[in-house]
Amino acid sequence: MKKILIFIMLGLSATQLWGQSNFSITYAMGLPVGDVKDYISQASFRGIAADYRYNINPTMALGVGFAWHTFYDERPSDTYTIENVSLTGKQFRYSNHVPMLATATYFMEANEMFHPYATVGIGVTYTRRNTDMNLYTLEQEAWNFTLQPEIGVQIHTADLMGFVISAKYLNGFQSGSELHDPQSFFSLHVGFCFF
Amino acid sequence: MKTKLFVAAASLVLAACYPNGPEYAEDTDVVITSFDEGYNFSDKQTFAMPDKIVVDVEIDEGDTTYEYMADKFATPILETIQGNMEELGYNRVDVDEDPDLLLTPAGFTSTTYFYSYWYDWWYGGYWGWGWGWYYPPYYTVSSYTTGTMVMVLSDPNQASDSPINRSPTIWLSAANGLLSGAYDISRITNSIDQSFEQSPYLKTN
Repeated sequence: MKKILIFIMLGLSATQLWGQSNFSITYAMGLPVGDVKDYISQASFRGIAADYRYNINPTMALGVGFAWHTFYDERPSDTYTIENVSLTGKQFRYSNHVPMLATATYFMEANEMFHPYATVGIGVTYTRRNTDMNLYTLEQEAWNFTLQPEIGVQIHTADLMGFVISAKYLNGFQSGSELHDPQSFFSLHVGFCFF
Repeated sequence: MKTKLFVAAASLVLAACYPNGPEYAEDTDVVITSFDEGYNFSDKQTFAMPDKIVVDVEIDEGDTTYEYMADKFATPILETIQGNMEELGYNRVDVDEDPDLLLTPAGFTSTTYFYSYWYDWWYGGYWGWGWGWYYPPYYTVSSYTTGTMVMVLSDPNQASDSPINRSPTIWLSAANGLLSGAYDISRITNSIDQSFEQSPYLKTN
């Protein structure tokens, strides 16, 4: 009986050690590549991401990830010419990306404090590009199939809370809608995690 | 719950730093020009233009009355147009001296009204209380006004080719922007300069 109790205690404490689920919320900075970079070359300092992970065993977790990244550029007055028509004015460019992904995470062998991990996310990204000029906006949308690898580390500083730093590469594959090219960018995340 | 609060707070922070876009009325200024690609500007020498700028037209029982822009605004605008045309190599002549080109300026404004209401149907009762009690909705009315400066170049000699005896437009410029209360004439003169700058094909010998 005593033995069984000890086993149960051990089992419970083990559960305590790796937790059941894991939620993180991070501030995101974005670095555009490809078509997004051609449109807005500047880095984005407006972004937020939320990730939920459920451990199916101590090293593997399945979950979902959402984020919102906004790239913005204010173009000085310039002239755009098509055939015999020229248009001059300031342009305000916005590129919004909202990935909605299913994720699989592998937590590497860890010590008490540092928990490095690698995640692959698969899903879709809603992209909305607005080019504002005068009082009008040209709006282009796309739903890109998305593959997003991520590496990061969770730093467990307290019982229920910790910090997380990670780097992601969002590859939004070419889609047949208004934006024809792939919509991809790197993002760097810092934030909190809760377990 | 803590996490929920955190998410809510984070969303608010994020909404607060969403990029603003245009900050000043002149950020909305645009200039569009187009021209007849088949027209040869280079062998033209003279142009004529009026001394006044039409801002409104009233047609009353077949009688047409024009309303003109006040001189203190019209003069710098007309001077800017003339200066640009002379720089391109044209000489201003009177309209009865058989000019090669006619330049007609016009200005107008357009106001768009919109209203919205904000219906706050939150009330202090509970279901089963019978008649619900509501706050009245709030209505707000707002508007914005844009100003447009138009310049048209036409060739009076083409009128005879037209079945309705009118010269078609060979060059058109429209400058549009959100009006502010500042009556800043330089926004208009700058757009006139820009109209000519982006139309190098107007240059004559």
